[in-house]
Amino acid sequence: MSKFQPITCYTNQTSQYELLPFRFEALGDDDVVVTNAVGEFSFLPRPKLEDLVAHRLPPSDPYYSRLRAKHFLRESGDQAALELLALKTRTKYANLRNFTNLHLFVVTLRCDHSCQYCQVSRQSEDKAAFDMTRETAEKGLDIVFRSPNQAIKIEFQGGEPLLNFDLIRYIVEKAEKRNQTESRNLQFVITTTLALATDEMLEFCRDHGIFLSSSLDGPEDLHNKNRPRPGRDSHARFVAGLQRARDIVGYDGVSALMTTSPSSLGRVKDIIDEYVKHGFDGIFLRHLSPYGFALKTKSYQAYNVERWLEFYKEGLDYILELNKQGIRFTEYYSSLLLTKMLTANDPGFVDLMNPSGAGIAAVVFNYDGDVYASDESRMLHEMGDSTFRLGNLAKNTYEEIFTADNLLTALEDSFTSSVPMCSDCAFEPWCGADPVFHHAMHGDAVGRKPESEFCKRMMGASKYLLNIMRTDQEAEEIFMQWVNRC
Amino acid sequence: MTQKLELDAAVYSLEAVQKAAYRFIDRLTVLIHQEPGKVVCGIDPIAGRVIAVEHVIDDFKRELLDQQLRLKIKTETEPARNLILAYAFSRTGLQG
Repeated sequence: MSKFQPITCYTNQTSQYELLPFRFEALGDDDVVVTNAVGEFSFLPRPKLEDLVAHRLPPSDPYYSRLRAKHFLRESGDQAALELLALKTRTKYANLRNFTNLHLFVVTLRCDHSCQYCQVSRQSEDKAAFDMTRETAEKGLDIVFRSPNQAIKIEFQGGEPLLNFDLIRYIVEKAEKRNQTESRNLQFVITTTLALATDEMLEFCRDHGIFLSSSLDGPEDLHNKNRPRPGRDSHARFVAGLQRARDIVGYDGVSALMTTSPSSLGRVKDIIDEYVKHGFDGIFLRHLSPYGFALKTKSYQAYNVERWLEFYKEGLDYILELNKQGIRFTEYYSSLLLTKMLTANDPGFVDLMNPSGAGIAAVVFNYDGDVYASDESRMLHEMGDSTFRLGNLAKNTYEEIFTADNLLTALEDSFTSSVPMCSDCAFEPWCGADPVFHHAMHGDAVGRKPESEFCKRMMGASKYLLNIMRTDQEAEEIFMQWVNRC
Repeated sequence: MTQKLELDAAVYSLEAVQKAAYRFIDRLTVLIHQEPGKVVCGIDPIAGRVIAVEHVIDDFKRELLDQQLRLKIKTETEPARNLILAYAFSRTGLQG
């Protein structure tokens, strides 16, 4: 006689289960993807979805245990499913209570480049007109240290910020001095083309742990076409600057970003090869933003979201090929989405946050003291639309800036859990509210989602990633490595 | 020419029809009204955006079913959804 009950004693014989909150989207005619409240997902054939919702799915069905494990259904007495979902919800939103982390100081609008898609730069020798003053910078630092966030990142933007390096030096030294009593985790970044970087500047960066975020658009001909400057030597200057920056600041102290211009579209492999050649371990296949010169020069209209998606998919396929050959290389837009799909963590990328990261995750201090909810907000201002101007450092207090009606209204109106279509969308846990983009394109913070390029881009990329994971196990393992970096 | 689609109100709720119409806002103009026992849609393709009208309307009909299913899930899972959120924020001091 056995001392133990048989296994059947412990299995649910009645097929009685309760559904937990989930949403679904079609993947072709025959299958759907279902996502739970925190973005965990599973693939289902349509008949299985119908069985699930009609409570006809038997415990013996292989999908049953998968759906139970991922908290799509629970049996009577399954208390852990609710508690785990609650814990993951808390984790997902944990960053919210930290408030603003990223503070951008636009130290000058002057620039030595005249890029076709740039939103803000000025070709001017007039320092007084487009440079931030020390007085304005001090007021910006007052706001920075009012943030309750223990981690503070100060990013210097332009124009070309190195053209006002004296002010960068001033802000860094002042911030470090204040931090002796504040004891925050303080980080600095300079967004620069590196074309004007001197050894003295780089040594300062090394001594103060300043990270350099640079720009590389692809091979020399493409980069120089996108990024004109006197002498047409932007690429050569980047390569020389990169080498010196790595030598002085450190190999991992420099990263690069690319922007997809109309000329980039047929050359995604060349662009990726250029990144590999220069020793970068990843690339962000970044689309153009609909602001400033990109609109004026019609670069933005030169390709639509469908064309960008083709570019992205070709690039991602190529990157996966490289990984399969042993070259570890990441596509960062995918990595952001995959982090949301495959982990309980939120990568904190402002464009993919809900509520929107505008103002509450990042804030911008323009050269003239104006405060904006995001970098895109100040670009919109340059086009004559000051909707997301939150105040001015000389005139407004911290309280006035962060409780500005235009900020709070945009955050509330664009909250995806209550926006038409988003609230029912299976991709919502991976997506974000982008009130500034939708205001720029549609005239209000919500926009019409079926017509939204933001929505098409995110859904297009997500569906492509899901299809890869469904059909290519090796690729899925590579994706797991991307989101679980040490 | 406007196509008329009559739906049994016992099968399709007004909310599901409205949500399906919203999802097709980039391709179709859908005017909705109610008659006794029916939800009626007047459907016009958006000029220049839709080539295969019948194909889009077939998709719209499938979307109606999906929306009805979504509502069913949403209604059934509302207590669990509220419970999870209450659990999630139970130690934050933010609850009323």
